[in-house]
Amino acid sequence: MTLQDATYSSGTDDSPLGPRTGLSRSRFFLSNEFGLILLIAIFAIIFGFATKGFFSPFNLFALGRNSAVNIMIGLSMMSVIVTGGLNLAVGAMGVCAAMVCGWMIESLGIPWPLAIAGGLAFGALLGWINGWTVVRTGLHSFIITLATMSIFFGVMIFLTKAEAFRELPPVFTEFGRARVLGYVSPLLLVTLVVAVLLAWLYRGTVLGREMLAAGASPAAAELSGIRVGRMVILCHMLSGALAGIAALMLVARNGAAIPSMAGQLGQDWLLPAFLGPVLGGTLLQGGKVSVLGTVLGAFLVTMLTSGLLMLQIGAFWVQSFLGLMLLVAVLLDKARRSYLARRNLA
Amino acid sequence: MTPIFEAKGIQKAFPGVMALKGVTLSLLPGSVHALLGENGAGKSTLIKVITGVHQPTAGTLLLDGQQAQFHNPRDAIAKGIGVVHQERNLFPRFSVAENIFLEQIGSSYLTPVDYARLNREARRWLDALELDIDPATPVSELSVARMQLVEIAKALSLQSRVLLLDEPTASLTTSETDRLFQIVRRLRDDGTSLVFVSHKLEEVQEICDRVTVLRDGANACDSRSMEGVTRHDLVQMMIGRAEGEGAWRARDTSAQPEVLGLSGVSTELGHRDVSLSVRKGEIVGLYGLVGAGRTELAKSILGQSAVTGGEVRVDGKPVRIRSVFEAIHTHGLGYVSEDRKTEGLILQHSVLANAGVPIWRKLGGALGTLTDGKIRDAVLPYLRKLEVKTPSLAQTAANLSGGNQQKISVAKWLAAGVRLLIVDEPSVGIDIKTKAYLHELLRELADNGTSILLITSDLPEMIAVADRIVVMDGYRVTGELPNTGEYDSVSRAVMDRIHDMGEVG
Repeated sequence: MTLQDATYSSGTDDSPLGPRTGLSRSRFFLSNEFGLILLIAIFAIIFGFATKGFFSPFNLFALGRNSAVNIMIGLSMMSVIVTGGLNLAVGAMGVCAAMVCGWMIESLGIPWPLAIAGGLAFGALLGWINGWTVVRTGLHSFIITLATMSIFFGVMIFLTKAEAFRELPPVFTEFGRARVLGYVSPLLLVTLVVAVLLAWLYRGTVLGREMLAAGASPAAAELSGIRVGRMVILCHMLSGALAGIAALMLVARNGAAIPSMAGQLGQDWLLPAFLGPVLGGTLLQGGKVSVLGTVLGAFLVTMLTSGLLMLQIGAFWVQSFLGLMLLVAVLLDKARRSYLARRNLA
Repeated sequence: MTPIFEAKGIQKAFPGVMALKGVTLSLLPGSVHALLGENGAGKSTLIKVITGVHQPTAGTLLLDGQQAQFHNPRDAIAKGIGVVHQERNLFPRFSVAENIFLEQIGSSYLTPVDYARLNREARRWLDALELDIDPATPVSELSVARMQLVEIAKALSLQSRVLLLDEPTASLTTSETDRLFQIVRRLRDDGTSLVFVSHKLEEVQEICDRVTVLRDGANACDSRSMEGVTRHDLVQMMIGRAEGEGAWRARDTSAQPEVLGLSGVSTELGHRDVSLSVRKGEIVGLYGLVGAGRTELAKSILGQSAVTGGEVRVDGKPVRIRSVFEAIHTHGLGYVSEDRKTEGLILQHSVLANAGVPIWRKLGGALGTLTDGKIRDAVLPYLRKLEVKTPSLAQTAANLSGGNQQKISVAKWLAAGVRLLIVDEPSVGIDIKTKAYLHELLRELADNGTSILLITSDLPEMIAVADRIVVMDGYRVTGELPNTGEYDSVSRAVMDRIHDMGEVG
């Protein structure tokens, strides 16, 4: 088979990296994204019939607001999974960033836009600590972020004496309560903008491509002139900043920066953090991401939680269900990939 | 003599591809049978059919004249067909003895393993290979070459009547290869039928008495005697035409300025007093046995390991290269790795992504924006020039053949426009046609002004391509000589340089 110009240029539509939006039609129907859209549609219909008020403006608003946070948490985890690592400290980092923002406003009297920037920068700083330690020690990020999760959270509780910052400017609560077109939360719009920016990062910038290359094969990337260590640190910093955004969204929803808003050690975030990327088809080994998949995956999870709670199923059953879903998603993905690999053999 | 094993009219179809189109092979007891062919000719598929990994689509296998069917590799092993695969099939964390007797250990779950006996038995097979390894050593602590020998010991322990060796010498040094050949001869004299797969025709001519050549999934010759068959004949059968002329030719670069120079360099990896110099447009060969420290030297030059003493010069100016990033982007040095699969390419990414990595930064616009189209425009001419065969640029690099992968890892440096390219063992696992093409390409690159530092353990390759040969042994430079293109005299001179050192040290 010799290469024709035609076959070369047919590569135009296919994206070699990043979000798998440009795939051929038959492959799109086998993709995670399509599967998720299908599931979202099916469950929307089921919940629409089985519950009262699933499609009410209030519920849609709440659904949008919750999924905005869950998607952001998933994106935060995704940006580290790119390197083949993970970030167990997402919750702790997010809460720390939000507490710093609250402290800057209440104790230092810094204007809120600057305080938000400061909080996000602090999240990125915590990410830098994680990334730097991972690169320097050569240990897996699992163990590093497990340790820093406790450290960050512990220090934060000590410094804040576990007290919340409640005297925030009304702009936070107003933003959390606002509705666009009747039922869309502006938080969701923020999340979607961030998601689009991330998709562009991985697809359309040198930085994003270098992150993916460093994650897929550190040795090859290094010898091709990519500063792999720096990329790993940047991925962790990105994760910290995104976790900060997620926590600030919770602040907008609660009207206060509360140390326990992500649970003990921030652990309440862990399940949604993994569910989004894994359901969305981000490769846990690193080197491949799907931003769209993560968004859809996190949305599906939020919708299921909301629907099941409306069906008056106990919250603990919902937790078990989400855990089961993570397991099934991983297994399904494995099956799907080996199916694609076998077809590729031809 | 009656054949011990025969394959008749073997066909094997994969979705969309006919890998074997009616191949015939017959193996005699007490013989070493060469199985040759270019990459993609069907050798590996045939081996997998013979060893029960694949079921043939059509055709019969005969063992001692009886029709045989192997449903899985265990079937084949049970009937006395052993194989040493090209890829490593050892468990790194298990000991040598455990690896050798893996099948036996697994045969009953509850019996405790008698390690003393296991190690004793393993010792026997290691001794047969004159391998001085403690059987209790974890395999992960061995060198690649020794792992290969452990695999051979494992195959021996099965006491196979038919033993297939798939490129067994790819990572062995000359002396290890010699030892392997002694063993092969002994097995042959004991009546074993051996199949030897290799791209190194010198070795094939040395050890094999019969030969089968495959081309495009069919026999180019079927189990004939090696007597009177020349290297030229073998090549002609493999590629379907005569070997390309225009091998070595004299090139004079003595008037050119130096691009890379080392004076008395020592490194943290253990190099001492290494001096060499590469001029503009010159091809300098760095020859040595496996473990001589050549790849390590390359990586030190590139800044991946620290240079601890001496002077490194680029364009005559002393430099300190602290990272590969600097080597590439500041000094224009590129490196084609010997280990394509882990260091050369990002296998799970596309052809396009791989070919573009070193130039992403150069192509990036304001804010570091970068589109596929821009990368395509930059790399496509080089992929075309190297005749990379791929269904599309979006194809995953892992799905391409070894030769095409190698072309991509060269193309990416051409696209990056490096001034000096360090090429490490470029033709390992590459077929003859691609190899000849690669040699021509290296010369053409040099003619156009790129300097090349060629690392290879393949002496014929070195003599076919290099202008000058620097010999390394034990992390030192032991000599330097001009290449005259005369195989006999140059190879003797090179070997002397290594040998001398051996006597002194």
